[in-house]
Amino acid sequence: VNWRFISYLVMVFFAGACNRGSISEVVVYTSVDDVFARPIAEQFTKDTGIVVRLVPDTEETKSTGLLNRLIAEKGRPQADVFWSGDPVRAAVLKAKGVSAPYHSPQAEGLPPQFSDPEGHWTGFSARARVLIYNRNLVPEGQEPTSVMDLLAPRFKGKACIANPLFGTTSMHAAALFAVLGEDKAKAFFEGFSANGGTMLSSNGEVRRRVAVGEFAVGITDTDDVNVARLEGKPVGMVYPDANGMGTLIIPNCAVLIANGPHPDVGRRFIDYLLRPETEKALAESEAAQVPLRPGIPVPEVVPSIERLKPMAVNYTTLAGLLETLSSGYLQEWVARQSR
Amino acid sequence: MISCLILERPGVWRTVGVATLLLSVVLPAVPLLWTVFVPPASTSVFAESAFGSALGNSIVLALGVAAVSLGIGLPLGVLTVLYEFPGRGVFLALVTLPLLIPSFLLAIGWASVAARLGASVSQALSGLPGCLLVMSTQGIPLVLLIAYAATSGLSGSQVDAARLAGGERVVFCSVARYVAIPAFLAAGLGGVLTLSDPGPGQIFGLSTAASEILTSFSARYDFARAGRQCVMLTALVLALAAPLVLFAMPRLASEVLVRQSREVRRIHHQWVAGVTVVALGVFVLIGITSPLVGLTLPLAGGTTFFRAWNELARTAGNTLCYAVGAGTVATVLGLLLAVCVGRNAWLKAVCIGAALGLLSLPPAFTALGIVQLAAAAPAWTDPFLRSRFTVCVALGLRFLPVAAVLSLRAWGATSPTWAFAAGVHGVPLGTYLRRVLLPILLPVGGVVMLLVGLLATADITTMLLLHPPGETSLPVAVFTVMANAPETLVASLCLVYVTTAMGVLTVAWTVARGRNV
Repeated sequence: VNWRFISYLVMVFFAGACNRGSISEVVVYTSVDDVFARPIAEQFTKDTGIVVRLVPDTEETKSTGLLNRLIAEKGRPQADVFWSGDPVRAAVLKAKGVSAPYHSPQAEGLPPQFSDPEGHWTGFSARARVLIYNRNLVPEGQEPTSVMDLLAPRFKGKACIANPLFGTTSMHAAALFAVLGEDKAKAFFEGFSANGGTMLSSNGEVRRRVAVGEFAVGITDTDDVNVARLEGKPVGMVYPDANGMGTLIIPNCAVLIANGPHPDVGRRFIDYLLRPETEKALAESEAAQVPLRPGIPVPEVVPSIERLKPMAVNYTTLAGLLETLSSGYLQEWVARQSR
Repeated sequence: MISCLILERPGVWRTVGVATLLLSVVLPAVPLLWTVFVPPASTSVFAESAFGSALGNSIVLALGVAAVSLGIGLPLGVLTVLYEFPGRGVFLALVTLPLLIPSFLLAIGWASVAARLGASVSQALSGLPGCLLVMSTQGIPLVLLIAYAATSGLSGSQVDAARLAGGERVVFCSVARYVAIPAFLAAGLGGVLTLSDPGPGQIFGLSTAASEILTSFSARYDFARAGRQCVMLTALVLALAAPLVLFAMPRLASEVLVRQSREVRRIHHQWVAGVTVVALGVFVLIGITSPLVGLTLPLAGGTTFFRAWNELARTAGNTLCYAVGAGTVATVLGLLLAVCVGRNAWLKAVCIGAALGLLSLPPAFTALGIVQLAAAAPAWTDPFLRSRFTVCVALGLRFLPVAAVLSLRAWGATSPTWAFAAGVHGVPLGTYLRRVLLPILLPVGGVVMLLVGLLATADITTMLLLHPPGETSLPVAVFTVMANAPETLVASLCLVYVTTAMGVLTVAWTVARGRNV
């Protein structure tokens, strides 16, 4: 055995492993799904010549996740921008002092109710929380129209939602508490359990298991349903409570990280995200996201924001409410759902 | 000149060395664990009934996984070394494959199969049975590989003597007894590994301690609470591991008096070969094929191999780098630990106990600790604290306990008389290590590299929290696209990943066979 040669190989290997990237780059952490975020990042590189180092997360709830990484890196961040899939995570970063304010000139035309008034996060293209149903199991004319329909006897044992401690489902749970009040929101969760509803691990699971017919109906995000629809699954989608409390709209949020390594390029990337062209691209992608600016042309399957009735919530306060619920009622409810 | 005798003599350096190496594993997690003891730390978590019941579920699951893994992995490990059977290389590659697949992928595969088979199957798999099935699929290869390595360490003449004395039954029983202790420890490690993995519990709806810790991290961003839960979990593991350590420690390794002159030669035995093939086939069918079918079923509706291939091309280099790096770090540190422990029974017990306790730490603790350390350190430290090197070291440290158990056993099985003889004849320490010990330990080193490389590749949390921006691995890429990507893309990615992994493993086993390993 030639130990000198092996030692040389090991040294070369670890020297290569220590190598760092170039400086003409922007580091973007994102909780938006990789398949939707990467094409936008690649287009930014094509248009500007700046390399985007994308670090994607996921709403599948089996890892500790990027938000913790951002919080832990607060002292000397690696990220310049956090492209959040929802405003709650953005609000958490603001509360932890990880984000910096930035009022982008490209934010003009975006409705102010979907952004932080102090500029820590700016909302653009949105998803919505919708009802997904299996068209083979739900006859035409009997489609659910409200999240409260999950408590109906016709869906006994056939309804599912994702774990309300994580992702957009947690935000939806907090929104229900904010809009309905504590008693009615608790009644919803208790009624869901009493009706034999099932809690699954993620929105992706809700989509998969409704699509194969294990469940008739569930609550998930618009991009989940659109992907299933494109795959030819027998699923339908309803924007719930159009005549009641409204549909929860979940805007993407661009967050500038405080003391990031490339702040100027970070701002430039945020400007790029907030352009009408990016909203249009996200509407035309498999994500089928709803542009928040009025008047942007959208494909047939994507409703314009004017056609929806958004749930009246204050996104800034939802994060605080969610923190309380996560250590209280929702945690208890989840524990009861698990074995 | 340092004498070879130092390797067999007691000394303070042993305690210092062991303490340093074990501390290096736990050190990155200290900042987070420290929050447990810093006011105003609440003790409410200790009284939470939800966490108590989750902890109970975790312990039951860990014990179940350990029992199943030992019951199946030990005999399979012995049979695969002693007997020749058709399709050996492919079978061994297939059997080790689950170690490369993150547990949540296996769980999603099973959930997908169950959803298509009907509500009753889903119901049957929900909770503990589903978790036990998935976790055992990963525990069995761990035990099998360690039993395989232990059996390979036997001398051919020992096996032949047993065969002459009583035929194949006696050979099997004697060898199984010989490798039982390392296999027993491997099963313990497999069980403990389940304690830090929240994936299957989340998917099958079983409340586990890992899920609760994940909730503290990801739903509440409460590191202190996660730290308290973790300390409680580790304390419980140590308490439960104490009897195991006391039982296993004196029997961990029996010294061989002379250098093994003839390795075990595999023989052809039709009946035993048939049993081995059937047993391996059943394991492959139930443990691997079924969840993989669930994951790849969407391919019936079309493929997106081009996109999947691009992902593979983008991440293959890093995946290999992380696997090899982690394997190298764990192997080197594992052997160093074994040298420091030597034949000191007390240090051996401490090491095995620490190995079990450290493995129960959720990977997020070490990873977030390193992230915090890097954030507090100056920029010039980035090549060491924020690079692929960091990922390799973190993963190597994470799985050092596995390397330690194998290395302790391998070192313990060497004879002290070799060092005495070399010392008497004035052989320098370096020459002795290079010419005598390292060649003997090399096969074990290879197994450690392979095992740790496989386990490290499947460790999503460490990778997600530590990989330098843009330098991701293939499993993380699969993980991050699977939420909303078309099912055909996820299925194509899974198939590409599994096929590539199978190719690499088959080559590894074929090479090993060529060297009669």
